[in-house]
Amino acid sequence: MKKHYLVLAVIALALATLATAQDPGGKFGPVGPGPATQRKGTAPQGPTPKMPDGKPDFSGVWSPTNFFAMGQPSLTPWADALYKERRANLSKDDPEGNCLPAGVPRISPFPMKLVQTPTLVIMLEEGNVHSYRQFFLDGRGHAKDLDPLWMGDSVAKWDGDTLIVDTIGFNDKTWLNGQGLPHSDQLHVIERYQRPDLGHLSVDITLDDPKALTKPHSFNRAYSLLTDWEIHEYVCNEFNVDAEHLVGK
Amino acid sequence: MKLGLAMAVMFGSLCSSVPLLAHHSFAAEYDSRKTITVHGVVQKVAWVNPHAYVWVDVKDENGKVVTYAFESLSPNALMRGGWTRNSLKAGDEVTVDGYLAKDGKALADGSIHANSKLITMADGRKVFVGSSGDTADPTK
Repeated sequence: MKKHYLVLAVIALALATLATAQDPGGKFGPVGPGPATQRKGTAPQGPTPKMPDGKPDFSGVWSPTNFFAMGQPSLTPWADALYKERRANLSKDDPEGNCLPAGVPRISPFPMKLVQTPTLVIMLEEGNVHSYRQFFLDGRGHAKDLDPLWMGDSVAKWDGDTLIVDTIGFNDKTWLNGQGLPHSDQLHVIERYQRPDLGHLSVDITLDDPKALTKPHSFNRAYSLLTDWEIHEYVCNEFNVDAEHLVGK
Repeated sequence: MKLGLAMAVMFGSLCSSVPLLAHHSFAAEYDSRKTITVHGVVQKVAWVNPHAYVWVDVKDENGKVVTYAFESLSPNALMRGGWTRNSLKAGDEVTVDGYLAKDGKALADGSIHANSKLITMADGRKVFVGSSGDTADPTK
């Protein structure tokens, strides 16, 4: 009898997942108790929170809901050759496999946290490697003579209720995604952050890289708010026994 | 129970649009064609990043004990799946479905290196479900 209940429970869970497949907030919660906002598979409802100056407040813990949204940019011959090499060896040289930062705009499937003040927005990445981005909102321009950076140099400004984040100053060591899409140190990322309501974050992202892309590439990344779940510690180098076993083919 | 397992596999495929094993490429490390199922006793659990590991002592046909080290998901992903560091303990009897590492090399402690797709406890409970092994594609 118990087995029948188990089967029924699994079927119910599977159906619930199918029903929420468009907003798979429950993607990490197939069986156990998990966080309620993810178990329900729906983002919390309500109006967009505001800062004292009336601008949207993006603060919160955000879980990505369309992980593969980037699609396929049009690559230059240099980038295409590098991409094919990385595909051929099954991403064995992915920097993340060595616990190096993901770069921008690559993300992990794990949540990130935004913390906002009137002059600064901070993005805290849970994983795969703890990393942070600072969106300077105090009117400054990009720093001069930037060192090549893993996460780039970001300055931000408002366009109505949209926060526009402009990022340059990258090294060429990170990948655009786990499949190995390359970029160069000429990468320029423009992100347009919008919070249309309490539970949703929408980011229109445009990548420009004259060395790696034949034309700018745009896509939208979506997140839903986790109200009862924090970002977690993820110390990638603690037990990274994988690195020496990543053999590719 | 077979139906339960089938549903669990189906569930895994439903979740496959998100790569839970985000830290490294599954196919660069494990061989999706080298599937194994072992029955044994949990020796220890390491609740560590980038992946939790579960060591399982298994008696071979001659009664000799060999130890497998099964890679699992990262603790943060397991926690969001509803499991904790106490969901699986030393001494628990388990059946593990998984995949062997491509290079065939043991870990530093001599244990056989594998990735766990599914761990089933003696009472039928399934823990640490959802490794990328569920979606293993030998070409990617």
